[in-house]
Amino acid sequence: MLRVALKMLIGDRVKYVGLLFGITFTTFLVTFAASYFCGFMTRGFALVAENGAADVWVMDPAVASVEQTSNMAASALGRVRSVEGVASAVPLALGTAEARFPNGRFQPFQVIGVDDATLSGVPPLENGASSAALRAPDAAIVDPGGTEDKLETPLLEADQWPPEPHLDAPTRPLAAGDELLINDRRVRIAGRSKALPRFPPRPLLYTTFSNATRILLPERRRLTFVLATATPGVMPGELAARIHARTGLRARASDDFKADTVRWFLTNSEDVGDIAAMLSVAMSVGFGVTGIMLYMFTHENLKQYAVLKAMGATSKLLLGMIAVQTGLCALVGAGLGLGLCATLGRFVAETADFPFRMMWFTPLLGGGTVVLVSVAAAAISARSVLKLEPAIVFAGR
Amino acid sequence: MVILEPVEDVAREKMEQEQHITGNVSDTLGLRHDLAVRCRGVTKTYGTGDAKVMALRGVDLEIRCGELLMLAGPSGCGKTTLISIIAAILEPDSGMCEVLAHDLQHLSQSERAHFRGVAIGFVFQLFNLLPALTAVENVAVPLLINGVSRRRAEARAREVLEAVGLGERLSALPAQLSGGQQQRVAIARALAHDPKLIVCDEPTSNLDHETGRNMMEILRRVGRSPDRALIVVTHDTRIYEFADRIARMEDGKVVEIVEGAESEHLR
Repeated sequence: MLRVALKMLIGDRVKYVGLLFGITFTTFLVTFAASYFCGFMTRGFALVAENGAADVWVMDPAVASVEQTSNMAASALGRVRSVEGVASAVPLALGTAEARFPNGRFQPFQVIGVDDATLSGVPPLENGASSAALRAPDAAIVDPGGTEDKLETPLLEADQWPPEPHLDAPTRPLAAGDELLINDRRVRIAGRSKALPRFPPRPLLYTTFSNATRILLPERRRLTFVLATATPGVMPGELAARIHARTGLRARASDDFKADTVRWFLTNSEDVGDIAAMLSVAMSVGFGVTGIMLYMFTHENLKQYAVLKAMGATSKLLLGMIAVQTGLCALVGAGLGLGLCATLGRFVAETADFPFRMMWFTPLLGGGTVVLVSVAAAAISARSVLKLEPAIVFAGR
Repeated sequence: MVILEPVEDVAREKMEQEQHITGNVSDTLGLRHDLAVRCRGVTKTYGTGDAKVMALRGVDLEIRCGELLMLAGPSGCGKTTLISIIAAILEPDSGMCEVLAHDLQHLSQSERAHFRGVAIGFVFQLFNLLPALTAVENVAVPLLINGVSRRRAEARAREVLEAVGLGERLSALPAQLSGGQQQRVAIARALAHDPKLIVCDEPTSNLDHETGRNMMEILRRVGRSPDRALIVVTHDTRIYEFADRIARMEDGKVVEIVEGAESEHLR
């Protein structure tokens, strides 16, 4: 009889395709939405991710994420280096500055000052250029940081550094050799990098720690993070605990700091709340569509179930038939939806720099919840089948 | 008369194993009884309050094994309600209805389902074939419900379809068959599991006169056997000649029962 159930399902091609389309679309929507959210969050901790060599991030005790920082005294670097188990420790400065472009336009940048000696944390440069270019005086590397058309400089010499801004002048992408002004300090562009895109998107300017100190507005403290690596045999979590105990500074293993940053976004960022609310609405609509379609399918076949019931099919048998129909739809639809999501997500991530990250739990969330919704819809529709009066099969009822 | 060899009676064996269905199974299937159906004082009411409709007002009826009994009467007189009760798909409010020696009131829901699956065949006015299944698959459904393997069920289904003259349309879907052919598939489905009672609800009302007569001829030729009773609910006076007896109902009661040959005054 289970084969009969499958034929009942597949026999009505239009309904079956519609049902599969609905479940596929819902799975796609839910998984894509969750992956999109993960993509955003991943961009939120991009600074931590691109400093892969650092085992432990040390910061002011008030800091909870890379997004909201407070600087430490310069002596913190030496204190961290003195902790047993620290193999190396380098400084990192973060700051925000308005850069003036040659045509007079202003653009905010996140300035990232890396260790002068090691240049640790500089992302790979375009065209295979070396990050050693940062050692030149006033040198900086720029990165769009997930933005578009923000790093444009005047095309013509005549539009550069005019007495009055030439904001509508034709432009070209900022390149090595161009200059910007930050707080009246000259910055010479040494190249463009391919850093991980940021959330929120913003142009990035990588320079040395000393140059960052020079171009950023003067502050009593400039050291934002100390990036420590552990000696062999010391676990990052253990080292973080040790640094905290010895220095009183907040120290977090890289993975923990990523999680802290995600948590910070979830609780503090209105943008994330808005995105999450929008995605929740989309997911709810998808679940609703799936549930209603499955329910409608069984409901429209009530007469056929009544015939089977009249002919002696037991409730158990009818439940089995509904379970098989729902299970097939849910599994095939969820499979197609996940496949579509992975394919399309990868495509848009690679071609359009879309924030898409299909983490291990997103297919489970998408496929799993769709299957759960299907089971719930089947349970609700099964109720009407079980309560079905087989006498309706006779004319006049 | 065409005698169909009964399918290796898995269904009946299954019923024999049902300990909770009381009585000797040979008896229960009417093999030792003259009466297939015995109803006494059966009543049934639908709705409550002002919407209350008394569909059956104490029906007494007996149907003998081997006979084809037609239930006739105007719309709303209770014919469909009565066959629903006889077919164990509706429970009466009061009275006694014994079908194939089973007092239906003493069967649980699952026992009634087993009883219907094993002992009763249905032919519906609107055929009610499953649209996604071929003729063979539709006819095999009652056997599959009774736990017969698909191979054996379809072999039996082919045999019955050939007996009703549809040997050439075994793989056709209901939508590819004419109304008459669909009703023949429905008759084959009602016969496939060799039931001892066949219940037909207006089997000819959706067919033209000629096709309707053919249908009754097939039903009589293939469906009748000494140990099987047929009940046919009908408005169609032109098929009265196929009845052994005709029970005329009015206002929820059987008011007259005549022999088929003496039914001239009912037309």
